[in-house]
Amino acid sequence: MMRKQKPTVMVIEDESLLLQAISRKLELDGITAISCSSGKQAIDCLDSSSELPDAIWLDYQLKDMDGIEFMGHLRKKGAWAQIPVIVVSNSASEDKVHNMLALGAKRYLLKAEYRLDELIPIVKQFIAENNVQA
Amino acid sequence: MDNQNSQSVFQSTDQILPRSINDVKSPSSGKKIFMKIKYKLLAVAGFSVLTVTILSIFLYLSVQSFNLTIEYFVAGLIVTFVLNAVVIILLLSNSTYKPITKLRKETETIEQGNPDYKASIQTKNNTSHLPKSFDDATEKLKASYFEDLEKRVSEKTKALSQRIEELNFEKEKSKEAEEKALIEKAEEEATLTSIGEGVVVTDPQGKIMIFNPAAEQMTNWTSSEAMGRFWFETVPAMSEKGYLIPRKDRDMYKALTTGKKVFAENVYLQKGSGKITVAITATPIIFKDRVIGAVEVFRDISHEKEVDRMKTEFISLASHQLRTPLSAMKWFCEMLLNGDAGELNPEQKEYTKNVSDSNERMISLVNSLLNISRIESGRIIIDPKLTDINKLISKVISEIKIKSDERKQQIIVSIHSDIPLVNVDPQLIREVYINLLTNASKYTPPGGEISIFISKKDDQLISQVSDNGYGIPKKDCDKIFQKFHRGENIVKIETEGNGLGLYLAKAIVESSGGKIWFQSTEGKGTSFYFSLPLSGTQAKKGEVTLSS
Repeated sequence: MMRKQKPTVMVIEDESLLLQAISRKLELDGITAISCSSGKQAIDCLDSSSELPDAIWLDYQLKDMDGIEFMGHLRKKGAWAQIPVIVVSNSASEDKVHNMLALGAKRYLLKAEYRLDELIPIVKQFIAENNVQA
Repeated sequence: MDNQNSQSVFQSTDQILPRSINDVKSPSSGKKIFMKIKYKLLAVAGFSVLTVTILSIFLYLSVQSFNLTIEYFVAGLIVTFVLNAVVIILLLSNSTYKPITKLRKETETIEQGNPDYKASIQTKNNTSHLPKSFDDATEKLKASYFEDLEKRVSEKTKALSQRIEELNFEKEKSKEAEEKALIEKAEEEATLTSIGEGVVVTDPQGKIMIFNPAAEQMTNWTSSEAMGRFWFETVPAMSEKGYLIPRKDRDMYKALTTGKKVFAENVYLQKGSGKITVAITATPIIFKDRVIGAVEVFRDISHEKEVDRMKTEFISLASHQLRTPLSAMKWFCEMLLNGDAGELNPEQKEYTKNVSDSNERMISLVNSLLNISRIESGRIIIDPKLTDINKLISKVISEIKIKSDERKQQIIVSIHSDIPLVNVDPQLIREVYINLLTNASKYTPPGGEISIFISKKDDQLISQVSDNGYGIPKKDCDKIFQKFHRGENIVKIETEGNGLGLYLAKAIVESSGGKIWFQSTEGKGTSFYFSLPLSGTQAKKGEVTLSS
């Protein structure tokens, strides 16, 4: 299977300004961003697209569902469950972090603590790791 | 009393009537006596006439026969008269004394308590007026006696009624006092009964002596069940962290043993399975320098705790909501400054940097607020790990070094070689060092010196962070650990700061089992100290960590 030229990251964030900033920054860093403003939109997108993203950038608290519910949807399909998920949230309470990591999330990061140019390398790193494993 | 009076009245008659004659006849024989005296007088008169006549004849014949002179006859006649007179006097004297003796006897009768008794004596001679005089005297005496008696009785009655009045007054007074005491007791009981706080009074051993209805309600024990039981066993207490509090650490026990007032917040285990959060004040009852018991007042603070929890939740929620726009500002400023939207000219860059810096302060403030709400709510996780303090400090210094280097400040670290690994939550303790060192750098003029000393004292690890900076004004010293408080001098020098750092540091140190204090001289510098038990901090389950 031929590897894509540009890695693709699905960004799920219900705050449009943040979604815009993240997507723009990813594009600037040579990553194709699939912007989704809700959990449902993301699931639909995964369902309809022929190619799966290399990583998912997930906000924990979405308007229609939370991170745990979204992880539940991902785990329904074996292929989806393989996509590395990085949670970037405003709230990182111990139980949330614990639950998300247990459900397969790779990292749980606190939004306001990181600059975008600190976050992009982390995402890139997971894509690379996942590709090596694949 | 009356008897006494009558006696004293009649005693005076003793002086008038000496008790020298004993032969006394009954008063009823008065007439007989009178008759006897009459015949006696007749006999005496007859005898006298006869003897005088015989003697006169005899004398006359003797004078004639012996041829004596008339002088002898006269002398003989005189002797005869004299002898006669003596005999008459003797006879009469007998009849005079007898009535007197009788009178005396009758006086005694009166003296016995019969002032109405009349003397029945009758005499033929000039003493016969005596009984009447006596009776008059008795009458007078009686009158005066009764007058006196009446006076005395009236006086005594007056005194008596006065005394009765006094007694009544005293009785009334003591009754009033008794009633007052009863009312006071009832009032005290009513107060104790109506008081909303639970009130428990124990003896020096901790046995329950008083248990009011509020205490009954809060503990589910009835007063009759609780009385005489040991307080500590009857109502066990837990700390807010959920540990059962041993007897020696109970507030009532401390009050009884130390003689000092103790305040605390505990969770009481009710009879059955319930729990109640209470604020406690345990006060020793001291009498003549001895603790004779203790009184504990406790209040249900479940509602306050709930309000507090809601407040904490609100802060937490609000802070999280604040974080979203702060993140957007942070990231867009970052992109602008990175030139992601095209290169900025120097002025545009400067302004954008200012926006970014302010935004960072806002993020820091929100983080502090969140941390405080976490610690205050008791929901923070304390996760102790064996920590190398030396390494922890080096890491913290590397973080603040950018700022201190900018200000050309020197940081000196001195750590005793025998400091062991300490079981503390490194994330929390790091926050304390960060706050103290950031303050030291911020509130010390450029070129100043910041020093860190780590030492061991008894069973405590002592950390000292000193600077030669602006110092803390005296008037701020007691407020320095208060939330949002900033020193009067430094607000003018350094605008950046939210007044939450030391509050947070204190909260962390105390929740880790240590203490924090400081020494400062305005214009010369400040030294902050905090202790941590070398035995380590107890782990605590919770829901949140710092900066999460």
